[in-house]
Amino acid sequence: VADAQRRPPVSVRSVNCPNCGAATAVRTFGHAVNVVCQSCGSILDAANPGVTILQKFTEAVREEPLIPLGTRGKLLGIDCEVVGFQVRQITVDGVAYRWREYLLFNPYREFRYLTEYAGHWNVVSTLNALPDGGPTPDGSEPRSYGEQEFRHFQTAVAKTVFVLGEFPWQIRVGDTVTAVDYVAPPSMLSAEVDADKEVTWSLGQYVSGRDVWASLSLPGTPPPPVGIFANQPSPFRGRSGSMWRNAALLAALATMLWIGHLVSARSKQAFVQNFVFDPRPAQDASLVTPVFELDGRATAVEIETTANLDNQWMFVGYALVNDDTGQAFEFARDLSYYHGYEDGESWTEGSPIDTVTLPTIPAGRYFLRIEPEGDRTAPPVQYRVRVLRDVSTSLWYIIALVLIAVPPILASWRASMFEYRRWQESDHGSGGSSEDKDDDD
Amino acid sequence: MMTKLYFLYGLAVVGLMGTAEYRGWRLTSFNEARTVPKSVRDNPGSYRPVYGGFRHFTGGK
Repeated sequence: VADAQRRPPVSVRSVNCPNCGAATAVRTFGHAVNVVCQSCGSILDAANPGVTILQKFTEAVREEPLIPLGTRGKLLGIDCEVVGFQVRQITVDGVAYRWREYLLFNPYREFRYLTEYAGHWNVVSTLNALPDGGPTPDGSEPRSYGEQEFRHFQTAVAKTVFVLGEFPWQIRVGDTVTAVDYVAPPSMLSAEVDADKEVTWSLGQYVSGRDVWASLSLPGTPPPPVGIFANQPSPFRGRSGSMWRNAALLAALATMLWIGHLVSARSKQAFVQNFVFDPRPAQDASLVTPVFELDGRATAVEIETTANLDNQWMFVGYALVNDDTGQAFEFARDLSYYHGYEDGESWTEGSPIDTVTLPTIPAGRYFLRIEPEGDRTAPPVQYRVRVLRDVSTSLWYIIALVLIAVPPILASWRASMFEYRRWQESDHGSGGSSEDKDDDD
Repeated sequence: MMTKLYFLYGLAVVGLMGTAEYRGWRLTSFNEARTVPKSVRDNPGSYRPVYGGFRHFTGGK
C-alpha cells in the first residue's frame, strides 16, 4: 500500500491522429502499443513517437461501446479504467455471433478484460500458470486449473471486427485466433491460439450486468441477458440436491409414521357371519345382522364380503346403522367372478372377495342392513360378511411419498433443462448435456 | 429459501398423512344417511337405501 501511495496519480495524455487530426486520449502511457483514433477509427502506432497509421477504419458502421472509454470503477474488488474496446466474431454454421470486449487498465496490476455477449458479462484475466495438460488446447478433453475441472465447450475461429481505444499489443481489424473455451460455471477457461501458434490462457468469471453497472457507476440499466451463457451459473445449482436430501428425510419420517400405524392398528374383528342368498325368488332378500360393538376412537372400519360365486354376479347394498342414534352409512358393492377355458387357455375375471373401508366411523353399537341382489337364473350363493375395526392402509403413505417427491423431481428437471439449454449452444449440443456432470453439488 | 419452503411443505404433507392414518380417512364413496328408524330391525325391507334396487349384470366373457 505504501508503495502504491508513492506512485504518481493516473493522468491522461493525447496523441493527434495523422489521418483526421483529432486528438485521442492515451491513458495507459508506456503500456499502449496501438491506439485507435476515436474520431476516424484508424489504428495508430503508439509506440512510435511519430504516431503512424497502422490501419484505417473501413467499415460502414461503427460499433458503440455500452461502457464509454475512460469509465472507472472497481470490478471484483480491483480498481480499473476502461481503455480499449473491441468487437470479435465467430461464425458457426454460417451464423455470425459477435461479442464485445472492454480492456480494463490498472497501472499497478495486469490488464483485465470485461466481455459481454447478449447481456452476459465476464471479467477475464490472463493466467500466469498453465492449466494441467500442457500449453496447447487439445480438442474436447477436459482441462484442470487450480482445483477445478473445466469441460470443453466450444472451439471456434474468432475474428476481430472492430477496435477502439488503446491496446498493449499489436491489434488489427481482421486478426484471427482459434478460441477454445472450457467451462466450470461460473468460471470459464479460454485458450487463444494465434497465427504464430502462440497460446494465451485466460480465466473468466461470470458477473451479472447489474453488478457491472453498479461497480462502474453506469447510468441506466444493463441490457437484459438473453439465453443461457456458457459459464452462467445455474440458479438451480445445488437446489435439487438439497431438496432430494430433505425428501429422503421426509420419506424416512413418513415411513416411520406409516410403520408405526401398521403396528398399532388393531384390525379387530367386530363381526363375522355367513349368509345364504338365493336370487331365484322374486321376494326381497334384505336382512339385518345382530348388533356389534365398534369400540375405541373414531377410525376406519373395513367390511369384507366373500362369496362362492361361480360364473355369476352379486350386488350387495349395505347400510351400517348406529343402533343408538339411527345414523346410517350406506354403500354398495359389486362382486362378480367368471372363469372358463377358451382357445386352450384358462381365464378368470373378477373376484369373489371384496373389501371396502369406511372412514372415521365413531364408536358405538352398530348393525348392518344387507340387501343382496343377483341373477335370478343363477344358483344360491353362500357369502360371508366380516367387519374389522381400526384397520391400517398404505394409501396415505403412498400419496405422501408422491407429494414429497414431486417438488425435487420438478427442480431436477428444471436444472436439467437449464444445463441442456446451456450445452445446446456448445460443440456438444446434441448429446453432452444433462446426462453427464449435472448441476447438483 | 426454496429448500426451506419445500421442507415446510414436506412436513405439512407428512403431518397430514399422519392425521389421515390416525383418523382413518379414506377415499371411499359412501352416503352418510338419514336417521334410520328402529323398526328396520323388524322389517329390513321397509328401508330403502340410496343404493337399493340397482340390479345389473357385470363381467363375464
